[in-house]
Amino acid sequence: MKKKKQRVAVFLLLSIAVFAAACSPSPAPAPVEEGKNNLVSADAAQEQKGAKEAGPAYAMNPKAYAMEQALMDQLMPLPDLHKGERIGALIITLANPFWVAMKEGYERAGAEMGVEVVVMAAPTEGDTKSQLETLDAMVAKGYAAIIASPIEPFNLVPGVVRANKRGIKVINLGPPINKEALKDARGWLDGRITVNFEEQGALAAEYIVQKLGPAGGKVAIIQGIPGAGQSEGRTAGAKGVFENTKNVEIVSIQPGNWDRNTAYNLASNILQAHPDLKGIFCANDVMALGVVEALQAANKKNDVVVAGVDFIDEARESIQRGELDGTVAMSPFLLFPRSGATSRW
Amino acid sequence: MYRGRIWLYFSNIFHQLLLVFVLLVMVAYLSSASPFFFTWNNFRNIFDHSSLYIILALGITFVIAAGGIDLSVGAVAALSGVCMAVAMHSGLSVGLSILSGICSGAFMGMAGGTVIFLFKINPFIVTLGFMSLSRGLALIVTGGIPIYGFPKSFTWWGSGHIGPFNPPMLLAAFLIVVAAVMLNFTRFGYYTLALGGNEEALRRSGVSIFLYKVLVYTLCGVTAAIGGLIVTARLNTAEPLAGWMLELDTIAAVVLGGTSMKGGRGTIVGTVIACFLLGILRNGLVILSIPSYYQQLLIGIIILAAVIFAEVRARKGLLGFNKK
Amino acid sequence: MFGCAQKKDGSQKSPYLRLKKIKKSFGHIVALEGIDLDIYPAEVMALVGDNGAGKSTLIKIISGVLAPDSGEISLNGTSYRHLTPSKAVELGISTVYQDLALVDCRDTASNIFLGKEPLKAWFFVDKQKMIKESEALLKKLKVAIPSVTTPVEDLSGGQRQGVAVARSIMQQGRMLIFDEPTAAMGVNEANRILKLIRNLGDEGFAVVVISHNLHHVFSIADRICVMRNGRLMVDCRTENTNLEQIVGFITGPPQLTKTHTEKELMPGCGEDAGNVQRQDMVIF
Ligand SMILES: Nc1ncnc2c1ncn2[C@@H]1O[C@H](COP(=O)(O)OP(=O)(O)OP(=O)(O)O)[C@@H](O)[C@H]1O
Ligand SMILES: [Mg+2]
Repeated sequence: MKKKKQRVAVFLLLSIAVFAAACSPSPAPAPVEEGKNNLVSADAAQEQKGAKEAGPAYAMNPKAYAMEQALMDQLMPLPDLHKGERIGALIITLANPFWVAMKEGYERAGAEMGVEVVVMAAPTEGDTKSQLETLDAMVAKGYAAIIASPIEPFNLVPGVVRANKRGIKVINLGPPINKEALKDARGWLDGRITVNFEEQGALAAEYIVQKLGPAGGKVAIIQGIPGAGQSEGRTAGAKGVFENTKNVEIVSIQPGNWDRNTAYNLASNILQAHPDLKGIFCANDVMALGVVEALQAANKKNDVVVAGVDFIDEARESIQRGELDGTVAMSPFLLFPRSGATSRW
Repeated sequence: MYRGRIWLYFSNIFHQLLLVFVLLVMVAYLSSASPFFFTWNNFRNIFDHSSLYIILALGITFVIAAGGIDLSVGAVAALSGVCMAVAMHSGLSVGLSILSGICSGAFMGMAGGTVIFLFKINPFIVTLGFMSLSRGLALIVTGGIPIYGFPKSFTWWGSGHIGPFNPPMLLAAFLIVVAAVMLNFTRFGYYTLALGGNEEALRRSGVSIFLYKVLVYTLCGVTAAIGGLIVTARLNTAEPLAGWMLELDTIAAVVLGGTSMKGGRGTIVGTVIACFLLGILRNGLVILSIPSYYQQLLIGIIILAAVIFAEVRARKGLLGFNKK
Repeated sequence: MFGCAQKKDGSQKSPYLRLKKIKKSFGHIVALEGIDLDIYPAEVMALVGDNGAGKSTLIKIISGVLAPDSGEISLNGTSYRHLTPSKAVELGISTVYQDLALVDCRDTASNIFLGKEPLKAWFFVDKQKMIKESEALLKKLKVAIPSVTTPVEDLSGGQRQGVAVARSIMQQGRMLIFDEPTAAMGVNEANRILKLIRNLGDEGFAVVVISHNLHHVFSIADRICVMRNGRLMVDCRTENTNLEQIVGFITGPPQLTKTHTEKELMPGCGEDAGNVQRQDMVIF
């Protein structure tokens, strides 16, 4: 039994590592801090410019590679892996580039370890009910373990309980499943590697504040779908930082519904009301990229600092071009140490 | 009692006059509430944002006037944007790429219309299916990852400049005129309204229901694709999720404008005014920094109030302007 | 089985339209059980029968709205399995339907010209022409409506029937079918429409009229066909019959069903027919 758990944990690690490799090409983050969300900004890209021109564009970031090695060493010896182990992964939606990259990460890790990994997702970012139904279907199929990333803290709780009853290990990765609700339902998690959304928002906001300098100025926040976990968490984090900084004033918090065109419209409308706006934080990169387009259309790109969250490919390229200012990666470096802990079950 | 042609005309456009009145009240209020509202730049914004809604709503006006409904426009817009992107990235010229995107939209509309006609299924269900189908195709083609980076001559369609205007606005203005002429002065428009009014009567008059039904949905597909062109060009990105929920916003605008959900009555002018009304509302909510939760609530209340008013007036002859 | 009544001058005319063994059922309801019927030009034929006899179903088959289950429709020397509305209009068959088939929310002019809108500059509908011509036509038919630009739903029942009649005239068919065209009309209006129908027959059109008002029928029809329970009971010239006789055929023996054979019916009809000559009156 213990072996099985351990295998799952190692698989998880590998999948994340591969995901990191897929997501972090050479001009990636310079200021890496362990245990934290990782800010990727234009300045960092600038510093790395020399390296980018020299090396292959999609090479593994050396720092990340080193860390991964260190981590793997800690975990040695790796348990024997039976070929043909079946693991299910439930992610949020394949309609979002971030999760598409996640799926690729899972699958590559599965291939590398000879584990059959089936990645399932909800049709859309807001479809909490379908995600639960998908989890139920996965439970019925009897995977050895299921790694679940819920849309919001509560939607998967009943499914997790059913998985517990059938003796399937459930690991919560990314957005957190609410612990209290799960406990009330007499369920439990076998492992937990979650992201701190507030921290992500705070990190991006700190970046914007730092770029504004002591003069500060007006800033705006574009949320995702109001009420969604990531959206509310990131908004709260950013809001906290902005509010606690002298000279920085939040003039508008608007719902962008994770939609690029909505964010575009919002940004241009906000600029009308606040022509002296200095910064915009968006709860994800897709919206941040829409905002960038709006700023360019209004010839204001150089006056406004824009930061998003997710570090999708398109955001990375936008940062390289000097358009988007910064984004927060859901850092694989954050996930490593904690996932090490999960191997102690 | 017959009150004369002028009276009839007035009672026909009463709803639109009312919308204009509400619009003016809104503009007056917002102008007094914020110094930033009544500026050319802000209005340029409103026109820019509304142009997308207007273009999609024009197609929907035809569909609803013909007694149908099309829930697939947002998804079709995304799909045709993706088509354009794929075509461009595979080396096709910008013109041909746009054409291919528009054709894909037209094809989806045509297919939807054909299914609705052939199997006599409720268009609500059929277009719901086509919505999912188009989204699915767009997601499959892109693999869930947006396609970005297009030539300047393509992005011009979204963010170029023509004097004080931009291409989406002029495109919308052009299409408004075309749609108004089509609906009111051509056989196509006559048959669209007759389809919504009494399909069987039209059939018995020897008109091909198949042809006109398919044409109406094809037209809606084309306007959706043009919407897709604008979104894709403006954002310089073709997203499989572009135009999310756009169908609901545009249907709301069309009904708000006075086009009857029962079919047989359609007004392009009403649709355009309603789109501006909603555009100004969205703009105003941001300008006034209304918190996001209240925005949803407000938009909902306004749409409900307007539609209820239109229905009650149409049924009971409220204010005595209309009998039925 | 097949029979027809000729004009009394005896001139042999070829039928404008010929129906052969037309059958139609709706689920388990048999609406038509094999109808043979000829319709001649320059003749007003009245189709009578009780409610549900199948009259409307028959004319809907002629106008292409319904397709028969079996049988044949011959017209201009061509046989058709069934017609479509557009084919029928093309072949010159115009119909006033019992339900009028008007587009309620559209104005009178648009309804009158539905499917035949005049065009100007290639693809614009010539509304002015439509308004002028429909006003003229309605005036000619003496149908009084406030304005041809009001929606048809605002008109009275009789006015709506007037509009439907005007539309069928406007379609300029060679054959005109009226399914209870005067049902909702006042005395004056009805008389005008009846006169119009009579004139159309005299002008050489093939005219079919359905009516429950036998006085109307006798005042305008050259020929009367009686239907009962989906069968053609009798087909005779107006001058060879009288009102009581037709009423007898319409109501018939109370327990009449399709199991009755021709022979069973023949004697009764013969007695009723009295002085009617065999070749002028055919009883099925
Ligand atoms: N669409 C339909 N579906 C089912 N049954 C039908 C349909 N149309 C007609 N029928 C049936 O066919 C029979 C003949 O109907 P039809 O309308 O031809 O009668 P009719 O002679 O015109 O009667 P009326 O004098 O009342 O107009 C009736 O029993 C009717 O119920
Ligand atoms: Mg009838």
